[in-house]
Amino acid sequence: MEGPGSVGELTETLRQGGYLADRGLSTALFVALSLDRPILLEGEVGVGKTEVAKVMAAVFGRKLIRLQCYEGIDTNQALYEWDYARQMLHIRALSEHQVTDPDAVDKLFGPKFLLERPLLEAVRAGDQAVLLIDEIDRADDEFEAFLLEVLSDFQISIPEIGTIKAASPPLVVLTSNRTRELHDALKRRCLYHWIGYPAAEREIEIVLIREPGISAALAGKVVTAVQRLRELDLAKPPGVAETIDWARTLDFLGERDLANARDTLGAVVKDRDDLEVVLDNLQEITSGAHRA
Amino acid sequence: MPTAPELERVPFTGLLVRFAGELRAAGLAVGSGDVLVYCSALTRLNPADLVDLYWAGRTTLVSRHDDITVYDQVFRRFFLGDDGEAGDPLTLMLRASAEAQGALAIPSTEPGESEQEDEAILGWMASDVEALKHKSFTACTPEELAALRRIMARIKLTPPRRRTRRAAPARTGARPDPRRTVREAMRMHGEPARLYWRRRKVRLRPLILILDISGSMADYSRSLLQFAHSAARSGGRVEVFCFGTRLTRVTGAMECRRPDEALERAARAAFDWDGGTRIGDSLEVFIRDWGRRGLCRGGIVVICSDGLDRGDPAVLASALERLSRLSHRLVWLNPHKGDDPGFRPSTLGMMIAAPHIDLLLSGHDLSSLEKLATLLPGLN
Repeated sequence: MEGPGSVGELTETLRQGGYLADRGLSTALFVALSLDRPILLEGEVGVGKTEVAKVMAAVFGRKLIRLQCYEGIDTNQALYEWDYARQMLHIRALSEHQVTDPDAVDKLFGPKFLLERPLLEAVRAGDQAVLLIDEIDRADDEFEAFLLEVLSDFQISIPEIGTIKAASPPLVVLTSNRTRELHDALKRRCLYHWIGYPAAEREIEIVLIREPGISAALAGKVVTAVQRLRELDLAKPPGVAETIDWARTLDFLGERDLANARDTLGAVVKDRDDLEVVLDNLQEITSGAHRA
Repeated sequence: MPTAPELERVPFTGLLVRFAGELRAAGLAVGSGDVLVYCSALTRLNPADLVDLYWAGRTTLVSRHDDITVYDQVFRRFFLGDDGEAGDPLTLMLRASAEAQGALAIPSTEPGESEQEDEAILGWMASDVEALKHKSFTACTPEELAALRRIMARIKLTPPRRRTRRAAPARTGARPDPRRTVREAMRMHGEPARLYWRRRKVRLRPLILILDISGSMADYSRSLLQFAHSAARSGGRVEVFCFGTRLTRVTGAMECRRPDEALERAARAAFDWDGGTRIGDSLEVFIRDWGRRGLCRGGIVVICSDGLDRGDPAVLASALERLSRLSHRLVWLNPHKGDDPGFRPSTLGMMIAAPHIDLLLSGHDLSSLEKLATLLPGLN
């Protein structure tokens, strides 16, 4: 599918895919698509950083390739690996059958024995893919340096096969929860966008677009309550994902309002200390919701 | 797509470059590469639309969340002329278009936070008294500084190590190394002659220093900051925080090479120097803003304070409990402990802290800091 022609068009396309992007995010994504730049998304937990990549893949009919980062991730898990077990079996089979194929060794390091990992897969797929590099801040800094190399020219050299280069690079979305500051060099390669919590009206819209079955009244009450929760001094303030979860839970139980909010708090508050704080203020939190 | 052909390319680019220059002057790290991307981003957008202008710059020229406020200020000043500067026709034209669009509400993603920051900046500018208090930090005599530098050179903090997921080739180990085994087997015409092994690598745990710089600790804080500086340069990951009435992260200031400069910067960052002490509140801020994001996960947290807390003891108790759960080990340096081996914590803060502390040391002189340096690697 062709890329969007303007920011407005992209916003509309994303909306149809079930994602409400504000002007800033749409602009950032639009520029990223037009200029083939990776985009780095930072923001609080649960504001839809990962979701952006998923929806972009869905609405443009691209393949989503996800690289989940973690401490100790290395190139074997990110790029490619040779299938040693199969190579070994192949060698045994060759020697048992006394096959004298001059190309046998070359075949051993051919595409057949290559295990593609996300980055190689993405370079191969080129602009048919959205590459999501999730929680980059969890990976070690050495991995960041390596990623820098891949992101700058989208080409991967495999000594045995040769260099693979993407004709036109995939859309790359990096997300970070800011557990540590990323390296400046990596940031400089990327567009940067900070996703904050949405305003109340927008959040209601988001809930309704994600869960069309929910009544607008319930959505409004839930969002008001969640916005109040965020004002409290919680260790883990609820994200948009939690709002949607809570609304879905209440709707599933057939609740019309937050009168029995106490029983379903587990959908939004996921820390014991927080739960105590919330229970102390429960009346205040849900009472505002009644008024709305 | 540039919808405004009447905007002649060159002067407009000049305007953008000047804007980038302003940002650079305001302290943002804007490279010429970024400016190129910024300009080409605007060719895809509508440069006459102020909102596009805003977002194109924010997404290409800003790469740090903390810089967003600065960007907003510069943008406002440059394109909206908050300071009443006449400007050239292009800027004026843009301003006119902004007025036509109504007031441009520069979106603030987090209203609460930016307000706080404004407040902090205002407080900083307004209070001469607080500014004067910096003096004690930077007013180290040359002899003192020389002595502290010797301390710095002598002590090297090495945090304990942990095993990582990664493996490296080893003579013996727990996992076979298929890659090397196959490679060697190829050399032997496909006959696996010998099995090679890998072993998990080890890494230094992060070290987090949280230093009390309040009045009751002022005598020690100078040497401690020097100590923090040397620790930060010992390799591995070191984060340094200061607190008195409020918590300040000074890791950035510790990164420069010259100790004097680092001290001066830390003094500038921690503007509650010699104020009161609110350990509980400060630790809670640490947990909320840094700890729970994973900064101290698996790390060694070293708190240096005398435990004289003016805040609510319950806050301190809960903060310490959470901190001890979030981090790997909690070390407390209390200079008032001195050399007395039979030291019993007498301040309320210390009594509250005692159950959560893994190691209590004094840290009042060079030898006690050396003791910390020798004990630290063993805190597995």
